[in-house]
Amino acid sequence: MPNILAARAQMGTSLVFHIIFSVLGVGIPLLLCIAEGVALWRKDPVWMALARRLTSATAIIFAIGAVSGTIVEFELGLLWPTYINYTGAVVGPMFAFEGFAFFIEAIFIGIYLYGWNRVSPKIHWLSSFPIWIGGAASAWFITTTNSWMNTPAGFHFSHGQLIGVDSVQAIFNPSTPYETVHMILASYVSSGFGLAAIYAWSMLRDKRDDYRRKGLLLGLAMGLIAIPLQIISGDLNARLLVRAQPAKLAAMEGVFKTSSHVPLHIGGIPDPKTEQYYFSLRIPNGLSILARFSPNGVIQGLDSFPPADRPNPIPIHLAFDGMVGSGFFTFFVALIFWLLYFMRKRLVPEQTWLLWGILLAGPLSFLAVELGWIVTEEGRQPWVIYYFLRTKDAATPAPFLNITFLIFSAIYVILAITLIVLLVRLAKKPLPKMEWSTIVSGEKSQSQVEEHGQRV
Amino acid sequence: MSLPYLLLTILWLSLIAYAVLGGADFGAGFWEPFSSGPQAQRRRDLINQALGPVWEANHVWIIFLVVGLFSVFPTPFAALVIILFIPLTLALLGIVLRGSAFVFRTHGLRYQKPAMIIWSRIFSFSSIITPFFLGLSAAAVASGRMHPRGPASTTDLGSLWLTPFALVIGCMSVAVCATLSAIYLTVEATNKHDRELAEVFRQRGLSAAVAADAFAILGLALAPIEAPILWKGMLDHAWPLVLVTFLIGVALLIVLASRYYRIARMLAVGETAFLLGSWGVSQIPYLIPPDVTVDGGAGPTSTLLLLLIGFVIGMIIVLPSIWYLLYVFKLKGGMGVFERGL
Repeated sequence: MPNILAARAQMGTSLVFHIIFSVLGVGIPLLLCIAEGVALWRKDPVWMALARRLTSATAIIFAIGAVSGTIVEFELGLLWPTYINYTGAVVGPMFAFEGFAFFIEAIFIGIYLYGWNRVSPKIHWLSSFPIWIGGAASAWFITTTNSWMNTPAGFHFSHGQLIGVDSVQAIFNPSTPYETVHMILASYVSSGFGLAAIYAWSMLRDKRDDYRRKGLLLGLAMGLIAIPLQIISGDLNARLLVRAQPAKLAAMEGVFKTSSHVPLHIGGIPDPKTEQYYFSLRIPNGLSILARFSPNGVIQGLDSFPPADRPNPIPIHLAFDGMVGSGFFTFFVALIFWLLYFMRKRLVPEQTWLLWGILLAGPLSFLAVELGWIVTEEGRQPWVIYYFLRTKDAATPAPFLNITFLIFSAIYVILAITLIVLLVRLAKKPLPKMEWSTIVSGEKSQSQVEEHGQRV
Repeated sequence: MSLPYLLLTILWLSLIAYAVLGGADFGAGFWEPFSSGPQAQRRRDLINQALGPVWEANHVWIIFLVVGLFSVFPTPFAALVIILFIPLTLALLGIVLRGSAFVFRTHGLRYQKPAMIIWSRIFSFSSIITPFFLGLSAAAVASGRMHPRGPASTTDLGSLWLTPFALVIGCMSVAVCATLSAIYLTVEATNKHDRELAEVFRQRGLSAAVAADAFAILGLALAPIEAPILWKGMLDHAWPLVLVTFLIGVALLIVLASRYYRIARMLAVGETAFLLGSWGVSQIPYLIPPDVTVDGGAGPTSTLLLLLIGFVIGMIIVLPSIWYLLYVFKLKGGMGVFERGL
């Protein structure tokens, strides 16, 4: 493999892996905070048991997220030295601030995970706040740098030298408000539906008790609030592309020629060689109306860019439609669930077909995160910093990239297998006794800890 | 003090924090293979309980260091990651495997014999190679033979980092981590009223400290030939720091031998801080001797200013939080400062 391919393969694998954990790292702490808050408010041992069980899973998930995040952070430099040379100089502070946000998460996750029997219930609950606030802040800082790669601002480039660097302008580049919100909401949608899917699965296996119903409610409550906002946010993002990154939009929708009355193609394969669409559902004037509110709206096609600057529309279009499709499926599942819930006077609906829908929505919402990331990264190609630095010029000249790619890929496979085994084993553990006095946090005598601490 | 020096000082203090906090976590892995016999499970439990709540926060320092370096010194950083691609990749592998191995074996794998043994081996192996390759890379920079040409640099296949000096400093890093960890564990064991384990780690602390001192002296002896710029800087303006490092080192051995574990813990932190401080001050005015100076390697001023503001605000939030974490798990209800171990 040439260096550029090996470097992209390794970076891509790392991010496909890490993005799952970063999304969970942003979403789960909020779920914990809600569950423990409800438990303390109602003195309800079932909600507390939910929080405790989720805490054990968080210990493993968060640690793997921390190490895979470290890989990504190192690889930014090890694989893309030229990229980091410019990025560090202009938006480096964002990474440093993310470091602080991550500090806050890691410190309070230590207190939260290991403090169940050491600090008072209220302090314990309060320590979940810095975790989810830090998580959202990390997502904001990191996605800001990605926004900057898409719509670079705050510097000029002349003879290979950076001049007139203005980091603040770079941070508040045109994409920042759209992309950051989209990423944070994505974290809440997928964490919420991911959790709901786990409880849906165990309800499908006839474990229909109060504990599972409340778990289902918890996940879907977060998903329900986040998913409609996410669909609005997605629409705003796409609209921004019309102005800010027309090549990406053209690739997402497979628009080959600049024109008005552009149809919307759902699914299908936009072949850049023949400039034809195969197997798609065609909605006449669809894209012009969506993007410009009028059938006469002109959409810039791939033909307005030199061939060397065009991204490949096939994967981008498919990924984009996959993301939108998953998003809407998730949205309708949540909608039906809550309709039934309120029609049945606040009884959790347990129809098998609905539980299957929720079970499917969990993985689909994670798939949407991956596909959305593919759209934004592939859609920017061949650039790593849009219109300033080509991806091929950013890769390291270092040798042995094929080997490091293989080693890191193997590590991800091993980590994923071990993680799944551990999480499944955790889920199979018997539930704790639902008694408020033993399940609540706070300083405990050694015998109480031994009796109950290990079990939850 | 210029802006780059101010920021580098903050980064250097972060390096010290990583060494005394994260370094000790690596040291714990170093002692793992020595845990056999009837106490083995108790030792492992002590290590797991000591690391569990704090290792992730300690680990963030390395992330902060990496992003801090590429933000403050983007072009020298781009050169370093190309030149030292191999040792840094190996260190990264160590970091990744250590973290995952630790969490796998503490959560859920406890009673799974074969998997537990494999991940425990990985935990200790990766705990050793990480400080080794980080120390090695630092020595390669300090030796003053690197000629970075920004992103146009080429990867070094060992002429810079497989030198006697770099190997000695790599071993010294491992020994320093092992010392820190053994001394911290004497306090942890005493807090648990486990005299037997405290004795075990006291003896290990003493031998590791002696080994670290030996490697340090060997490194110092090699410096005039292997790292001439560092050596000159030390004789010129860093010798008081080196002297203090040496004095603390002697005091540490005495205090540890007489079982004042809390004081030994403070001295071990102090010794590591002064050791890294001596390196930094000896290198002034160079970031990467002999070509890149601190002022010359720094990025654009507006970025540096934003970083400084961010660092100050960030530290105001983070440092008290770290103190609270350490208070809850390491200080509250433990042995007193002047208390003697059993």
